[in-house]
Amino acid sequence: MEPILIIFWVVVGGLLASLGAHLLPVGGAPAAMGTATGIATGTVQIMLGAAMTGLFTAASAATFTDSLLLVALSGAIGATVMICVVMLMANILYTFGCGIVPVSGRVDVDPLTKEPQAPYKTPQTDGHGVPNVVFVSGMLGGFVGGFGGALMYFALLNYADFTAGTAAIGSLSIFVPNAIIAAYNIRGTIEGFHDPKFKRLPFAMVTSLVVSLLCGIMVVIASYLTVGGTM
Amino acid sequence: MTVTPAVVEEEPTKKGLSFKLPLDETEMGLVAGIVAAIVVVFTGLPAVIKGIALILAFLWGMDSVRKTSKYGLGTGVPSIGVLATGFGVVGALVGLALAKYGSIEGVAPAVLVGVILMGVIGLVSGILSNNEKVIAMKIPKLERAMMELGMAGTLIILLECSIVTGSLNFNAVVNQVMSTGLIAFMFIFTCFGLLHPYNACLGPDENRERTRMVAVEIAGLICAFLGFAMIILSSFSWELGSIVSVTISSPWKLWNGVSLLIFGVAVWAYFFRMFIKACMDEAYETVGTGMIKTIE
Amino acid sequence: MGLIVVLLFAWMLVIAFLAFLACTFEDLESDIGSQSNPNSQVQLAAQIGQVNRFFNKAISGEPLSNAMYCATAGTIAWLLLLKLEPLVPGEEWKAAVLAIPIGVAVAAAINIIFSMTAHCGRTAAQKRFEQPIYLDVLYGHLLPIATHAFMTTFFITCIAYIQSNLGTLSGNPALNHPFALPLLGFIWGITVGAIGSSTGDVHYGAEREFQDRPFGEGKRVVYHGKITRYAECGVRTQKDIAGFCAKFGGPITGMTFGLIILFENWRSLVGMQLGGYLPNLAASAGNSSVTWAIVMGLIIVITLAVVNYVFVRWVRKKCGPFVGV
Repeated sequence: MEPILIIFWVVVGGLLASLGAHLLPVGGAPAAMGTATGIATGTVQIMLGAAMTGLFTAASAATFTDSLLLVALSGAIGATVMICVVMLMANILYTFGCGIVPVSGRVDVDPLTKEPQAPYKTPQTDGHGVPNVVFVSGMLGGFVGGFGGALMYFALLNYADFTAGTAAIGSLSIFVPNAIIAAYNIRGTIEGFHDPKFKRLPFAMVTSLVVSLLCGIMVVIASYLTVGGTM
Repeated sequence: MTVTPAVVEEEPTKKGLSFKLPLDETEMGLVAGIVAAIVVVFTGLPAVIKGIALILAFLWGMDSVRKTSKYGLGTGVPSIGVLATGFGVVGALVGLALAKYGSIEGVAPAVLVGVILMGVIGLVSGILSNNEKVIAMKIPKLERAMMELGMAGTLIILLECSIVTGSLNFNAVVNQVMSTGLIAFMFIFTCFGLLHPYNACLGPDENRERTRMVAVEIAGLICAFLGFAMIILSSFSWELGSIVSVTISSPWKLWNGVSLLIFGVAVWAYFFRMFIKACMDEAYETVGTGMIKTIE
Repeated sequence: MGLIVVLLFAWMLVIAFLAFLACTFEDLESDIGSQSNPNSQVQLAAQIGQVNRFFNKAISGEPLSNAMYCATAGTIAWLLLLKLEPLVPGEEWKAAVLAIPIGVAVAAAINIIFSMTAHCGRTAAQKRFEQPIYLDVLYGHLLPIATHAFMTTFFITCIAYIQSNLGTLSGNPALNHPFALPLLGFIWGITVGAIGSSTGDVHYGAEREFQDRPFGEGKRVVYHGKITRYAECGVRTQKDIAGFCAKFGGPITGMTFGLIILFENWRSLVGMQLGGYLPNLAASAGNSSVTWAIVMGLIIVITLAVVNYVFVRWVRKKCGPFVGV
């Protein structure tokens, strides 16, 4: 039971969750109609989905290793694989099912591959599909989000001596407010790190820091009072 | 808004008839908060009384969700229900840990410290969300709503845990609720009990009376499921880490579960029928079938 | 390779196939009820004067609602298993054959309850737009919704059961997943909902909902709300939509989840095999098996990124810039 480590890793996990929510390309309801770029669902939904996949992999990895870095990395890679497959299949659906070319609506030229975007975009929409820069941004977002979730799980499991089920639901409960406050900051849709809305990141990080710190203190209180009994 | 003085309305009876009296939002919050706090402290009460307190707490939470979402959250109604449940689980963990030290036989007042701490966290996150220089949601009274949601979420999760295990002993709760996965069930149904009423009745002609019926109906469903869980779990005794099946140790536990199951099903059936009937009466029209039209 | 290793890989393949089927039906269930993102158009349609006969199932987002059904099914199944397994020692699968379908049936009943409250509540709140409640729409869609939800939840509960008992089914109980059955159902419910919401809904929202708009462009903002209400068989309802989306949207969504489960479990198992962890669970080999799994995960991720780059470039070359107004 090490209180400083618990608080530190919970805060870091919360900050990474917030950062991941900003990096993930979320198109919201308009993206399901081909009116906006990104994954066609809400921030909280896709963030929870990626983090849960990462948590599942991290939990099975935590049963046979004690290294924080390995457990967190396996959670991160699990989340990244999930987001990558989702984005690739979404592209296949957009292209073959609806005849839509993936382009971004917020920039004129793709920052990574330097391909022009504006000539391919449908007028009166805000882009559609998952172009390359958005794909890379999604990969990073999944990696960071899964890393944060698995970090919190490991800290609760090994430093606070909770059982596996308690640690899972505890880390989920601290992950969720961070992701939701980040979603409030984004106000619905974001395309990734090239989107102008990304500059609002510091505000969400400050709020995440405070909320995670308070939740971490609560977890330390809970763990300290029950140390000595089996938890 | 002028706050009407807190007139404590009469205690609700088994079928929840007093919900017909239009308790306004502040009074609802005070009644629900006080009743739920008292019931959660005395853990030896029969499960039906805890079920009634659970219904009141859900009504309180639903009011806060409704007040905030009316102004447009930008990400939809579900997010704030999940936020409240997340706060609730963290608060329940702290409350249970505190109860280990501040409780006498069957009475655990220290649990309320966890509730108040979670209210403080809710207030802080509300202040940061509404502040001009930080996230600036600009929703009036968001701070108060988030504080109420933090407290309501914690009380709901604590009541559910105390219904299933019959006490607020930390080891018992972890063994019977958290390690077995029942907490996942409680988590998602609490989310839905808070977010579904307003989400299902969203629209310009939404009115509060109809929305409250959905909240009571979902709370009745939860009571029915928890009663079923109590019936099955009453014939097991829980050693640390292993489950030993015993012949029913006390008929009290079994009858507690049966009574809660019957109470839950009755509440659900009554309010579900009332809600569907109210919707069909208050919609524009209810027809067997028909053609559609376009209004320019 | 010992029998344990072969059995592990076999069960892992079974899980991958079940996952494929689960997500196919999840997408169809959200199409037959019009849930989540495209439902905003159904809501908007009534508000701009387009009275319609769509089923407005507004139960939050798909991840949360699928989590609810799968957690309910998992909990009821787990409770029944607690009671039934001591009756058949040594042959626990017999208890599972009875417990799992009963749990899933309860979850399907919950789905019906929530769908009814959502549709009636939303339509009653649209009184001023003169949208009536059509009783044949309400009653005629409840059973298809429940059936599709039954299929989704059944496959997810089977996956959760196999994963929480993987070691017991293969011969070594230490390989069981540390999470319990209801919690695993909850996790996969959220994931299957997130995937169905982000992939499958596109076929419904961008293609079928606006069937009379040109193929080959994103749906413009001016089209929003003007959904296709008259179609091949008269006035359109959800039953016309599910049959169309089952031809393309459903299987693609199923392939997404199947591939994800396949990659996740396959790389963990191969990592354990390469690191020497199997079949005797050598404690010292734990770190190397996780490292191998991470390396293979990185290779998969980079391959997918390259495939996407090549694919997008091919599409841009084939389709060319936007023509038309």
